[in-house]
Amino acid sequence: MLNVNNVQIVYDNVIEAVRDASLSVDEGQIVTLLGSNGAGKSTILKGISGVLYPEEGNIIGGTITLNGESLIGRKPDEIVRSGVVMVPEGRQLFEPLTVEENLMMGGITRSRSGATEALENVFDIFPRVKEKRSTIAGYLSGGEQQMVAIGRALMSSPRLLMLDEPSLGLAPQIIAEIFAAVSDLSKQKNVSVLLVEQNAELALSIASYAYIIENGRVVMDGPPDKLMDNEDVKEFYLGFSESGHRRNMRDVKHYKRRKRWLS
Amino acid sequence: MDYFILLTVSGIAIGVIYGLIGMGYALIFKATSVVNFAHGEIMMLISYMAFSIASSWTLPFWGLLLVCVFISAIVGLVIERVFIRPMLGQDVFSTVMVTIGLAVMIRAVVVLIWGADPLLLPTDIGDSGVEFGMVFLYTSQLYAIGLLAFCVLGMWVFLRFSRMGVAMRATAARETTALLMGINVTHVYAIAWAIAAVIAGISGVLLGTIYGLGPDLWTQGLRAFPAVILGGLDSVFGAAISGILIGVLENLSEGYIGQGLKEISGFLVILVVLMIRPYGLFGTPEIERV
Ligand SMILES: Nc1ncnc2c1ncn2[C@@H]1O[C@H](COP(=O)(O)OP(=O)(O)OP(=O)(O)O)[C@@H](O)[C@H]1O
Ligand SMILES: [Mg+2]
Repeated sequence: MLNVNNVQIVYDNVIEAVRDASLSVDEGQIVTLLGSNGAGKSTILKGISGVLYPEEGNIIGGTITLNGESLIGRKPDEIVRSGVVMVPEGRQLFEPLTVEENLMMGGITRSRSGATEALENVFDIFPRVKEKRSTIAGYLSGGEQQMVAIGRALMSSPRLLMLDEPSLGLAPQIIAEIFAAVSDLSKQKNVSVLLVEQNAELALSIASYAYIIENGRVVMDGPPDKLMDNEDVKEFYLGFSESGHRRNMRDVKHYKRRKRWLS
Repeated sequence: MDYFILLTVSGIAIGVIYGLIGMGYALIFKATSVVNFAHGEIMMLISYMAFSIASSWTLPFWGLLLVCVFISAIVGLVIERVFIRPMLGQDVFSTVMVTIGLAVMIRAVVVLIWGADPLLLPTDIGDSGVEFGMVFLYTSQLYAIGLLAFCVLGMWVFLRFSRMGVAMRATAARETTALLMGINVTHVYAIAWAIAAVIAGISGVLLGTIYGLGPDLWTQGLRAFPAVILGGLDSVFGAAISGILIGVLENLSEGYIGQGLKEISGFLVILVVLMIRPYGLFGTPEIERV
């Protein structure tokens, strides 16, 4: 469904944020994109959504297609209309607006009646959001904000939902609730999900395929069980060394291992 | 006491026009982060257009106003399309410079077309008025008060209940996220310019009716500027209320302290207020970081 091929993205014409990224997401599939800080994960999502230009970002190579049609160069609202929507990192709610106004803005590409219908769907998925519908979004707790952010994206009835670090700063219980909802969406509504996460364990638990990106390059990919067996992944992403102990961040081996799967 | 009331009421009458002009500045700033230095000039341009219309056809005041509202919306859209939209993606400062250039241009065009002599905007309400005890108000001044109330109410309904209005607030809050949700931000900007121009047009017709026209009418835009700063630059309703405050204050300082103070009292007050509340009376606190 979504195909990203050898994509290269630069900021300000010089900063190479993404050097070579290829990934694909199939209908109804949950795919996760893992990587450390600054690896280029958010940049890839912004590239797919068409919102690099306000930050002076440019796709200088490769292709991004949705069902065979190129998304590069299309306006963000056209991309939303074609069924691809993103929940940005850090939730980015419209703080001064009420929860309901936030949600309705997620449905701006639809007719008024379509949006009202979608609003009920979101309330079914996140009953807690319904209780807060008239609250100013900036006053919500982090977990509630994440639910509103996901709900807002769902208002456009996407075929592909992209989530940028939805677990960031949330309590385990809330994370479980949100991940369960995402998992249901893909199973019941056949929505595809591209999940960017730092929390690899969590992401691998619901994804059916995973990519690992380092310094702007996809360096490894495969189904979760394959990646979880990989010593490097265990060490750097799941936080265990070969002997099963928590790794030490300052361990010299860190650098050596990194080298190994980059080559 | 009577003198005080007299000064206050006539202060309100001019203050509502500052309020109207201020709302236009604030709306553009809120939606697009640009201070539109051509706002006073747009107002002047439309009041001169109103003059040409009123001299060609005899229209009642409200008819003239309605025609001007329509024309202003077009003027706003054209200015946005021709001068502002090409600046998208440039920094805000460059856009502000463009509005300054536009201001100078409009001043020149107005003198070129209509000449530099003062003109009267002929309307059917003329010099009529109403007496409230010892205070006399022209019909046009009463209309100004009513029109400010109407614009404030209209803006409130628009920003609160219409999809475009909510989208405008969303864009003002977070532009990139607005794009991500599929809000057509370009469209939002255009509408903001159109509405601001309509409000400018209404204030222009009122000013022309009350004081007549002259090539220095744009300075009223400058005179209204303290209201916008006092209100908090991004607060449309703050600008409306502050306009009235400034109008009253100018009148009181002139009446009790002396000529000459009228022009600067507004600026003096904002100096003091901004020391205490850098984001204005009704503005969003973050503004001070800009
Ligand atoms: N607007 C920008 N201008 C210039 N460089 C940028 C910009 N945004 C990101 N970068 C750079 O691009 C690289 C990739 O950033 P990106 O935000 O995509 O990383 P990420 O994988 O999402 O990281 P994180 O997990 O911390 O969110 C980083 O080196 C970053 O400094
Ligand atoms: Mg990121």
